[in-house]
Amino acid sequence: MTRVDSKFIDEIKTSESFNASACMNCGVCTAVCPMGLDILPRQLFRYVIIGVEDRVLENQETIFSCLMCKMCEQNCPAGVNITENVRTLRTYISRKVFGLLRN
Amino acid sequence: MTDRRIGVYICYCGGNISDYVEVEKVRVAISRDPGVVVAKTTMFACSDAAQEEMIEDIKTNKLDGLVVASCSPKLHLFTFRAVAERAGLNPYQYVQVNLREQDSWAHQHDKDQATEKGIRLVRAGIAKCALTEPLSTMRIKTAPRVLIIGAGVAGLRAALSLSDMGLSVFVIEKEAEIGGWVGKFGSMFPNDRKGIDLIGTLAGEAGQRDNIKIFTSSELIEKGGSIGDFSVVIQVEGKEKISLNVGTVIVATGFDSYRLTEGEFGYGLDGVITLPDFKMMLDKSNGSLAFNGRKIKDIAYIYCVGSRQPREMENPNLYCSRYCCTAAVHTSLEVGKKDKSIHQFHLYRDMRTYGKYELLYNSALNNGSVFIKYADDDFPKVERAGDKVHIKVKDLLSHGEEFDIEVDLLILVTGMIPRKNNKLADVLKLPIGMDGFFNEIHPKLRPVETVIDGVFIAGASQGPKTLAESVTSSMAAVSKSAALLMKGYVDLEPLIAKIDPERCVWCDECTKACPYGAIEKVSADGKEVARIIPSLCKGGGTCVPLCPQDAIDVEGYTDVQITAMIDSLIKEVK
Repeated sequence: MTRVDSKFIDEIKTSESFNASACMNCGVCTAVCPMGLDILPRQLFRYVIIGVEDRVLENQETIFSCLMCKMCEQNCPAGVNITENVRTLRTYISRKVFGLLRN
Repeated sequence: MTDRRIGVYICYCGGNISDYVEVEKVRVAISRDPGVVVAKTTMFACSDAAQEEMIEDIKTNKLDGLVVASCSPKLHLFTFRAVAERAGLNPYQYVQVNLREQDSWAHQHDKDQATEKGIRLVRAGIAKCALTEPLSTMRIKTAPRVLIIGAGVAGLRAALSLSDMGLSVFVIEKEAEIGGWVGKFGSMFPNDRKGIDLIGTLAGEAGQRDNIKIFTSSELIEKGGSIGDFSVVIQVEGKEKISLNVGTVIVATGFDSYRLTEGEFGYGLDGVITLPDFKMMLDKSNGSLAFNGRKIKDIAYIYCVGSRQPREMENPNLYCSRYCCTAAVHTSLEVGKKDKSIHQFHLYRDMRTYGKYELLYNSALNNGSVFIKYADDDFPKVERAGDKVHIKVKDLLSHGEEFDIEVDLLILVTGMIPRKNNKLADVLKLPIGMDGFFNEIHPKLRPVETVIDGVFIAGASQGPKTLAESVTSSMAAVSKSAALLMKGYVDLEPLIAKIDPERCVWCDECTKACPYGAIEKVSADGKEVARIIPSLCKGGGTCVPLCPQDAIDVEGYTDVQITAMIDSLIKEVK
């Protein structure tokens, strides 16, 4: 059982650069990922949308393994800004987990 | 033998029939049947040229019977009745044989047998035609008045439209107030107009019309007469009885909101309420939202509560209520307007914000609402812990991973259920469908008509509807009523039951069997016998086989006609 933490939704929302509401979970992104990062991006974004911080933090390695090649973004039929979203998550983790990038 | 002069036309239907039935062979086989004077084949019997040829033949050969073996009577019965009429032949001396749906289309694998069956069917048609008698339609004068039952949005809108056309309208409402559900609501989708304002405008307008009379706290207690000329009795405030004569009746009695049982989706727990209750709470609130003194920060909605229930349940509501998804999405946007910081989780099975309402869904999605899809065999579980409501739900888009969502308020998105109207259904003898709502004749072809001629249904009384759909159906009922009443008369089919008073011994079996109440007891020549009320009889024939005295026949389907048809069907073909 995973607890939903609505505060996490707020924290991500404040960045305003994360937006995956258009995602329809088709899985094209996962299929074309050259790194084979199967949790990226749709499953990861689903955790962010619902507000499950634990799951996002469990997948730090995957988030930082992304090549930012934009292959997924090019092929996304819903036009989700996948790369920008991954960047937002990296920023969040850098701040929250590693104490970097303080304002 | 017969002295009738019958013309028989067998249609190729452009190959539809002739590809599988040897039409020419059929013609030869029946051409010497008793009474057949003209026997022809034709490529399209319904074409203008073929119709003209039939008229010419009827006149020249002085025919007194017409048989066309073509397609389904559903399609062309009236076409060929009109041909008979134009040629001076009584339209009820025309018989249609269905060679397409009942023969060629059904037996494409065996042409010989199809041809043989075709011969038999046409023979049966000829045998019936030889026994037809001229009949005439019954013309009834219509009263230019309409009774509308229910003063909700559908009823009031219908009243105004009928009044615009110069018809008098009586509206009766069971409750003490008019307006129905819409009258209780604030901002509604899609244009945020307040339900209270909408009803206010309609009621204000209706109040100014001389030809609209509204009775509140009133019920229909009696209905007599028939289409175009009903006599009804209404009871006002349980006391005064008023008799009215109206041409048509429009039933717009609306719906009820689904009532949950204690414990269903956590109903009964502190912090669990239904959507209609929440909407009323939201309409009243100013600024921030609070429930039982606690500020609301997180809200969850569970959709499909009371709709699309599992078949294993006792008396499940299997239907989709159509309006609830949109109503909940719209409500969440209203919540966002009051307080942007509130988190909203929508737990749905299928999102059915169809048509332009999808824009509302997109807007909710972009405004931070979270949509979580649950499986139809695994419902969310609700419990209360501390001052929060916990909902455990498996998200299908996360491969069924279970999440625990903690909220201040859980809103159960309840659908519509049929309003209990047993008394009304009894008085009007309205049929009720499997879902418990009033039944129309056909949802697409005759969507507001009922089997009771002159009684129409509108709005959510016939099934779950949005506000716009409700008004659309009430407009359909208005146009049906007006078309009937503004003509001033209505012609009724003469194909109805008739009773032989000589044979009848008044055993009452037929009255019990008739679903339309079309048989009454009368005295004739010193004895009690049954009598058919022509305007109520639909010619269904339920009474015929039950009569122990064989005293009932249905015009157009009399015992002798049916026996003659059976005899012809079993005759040797070769």
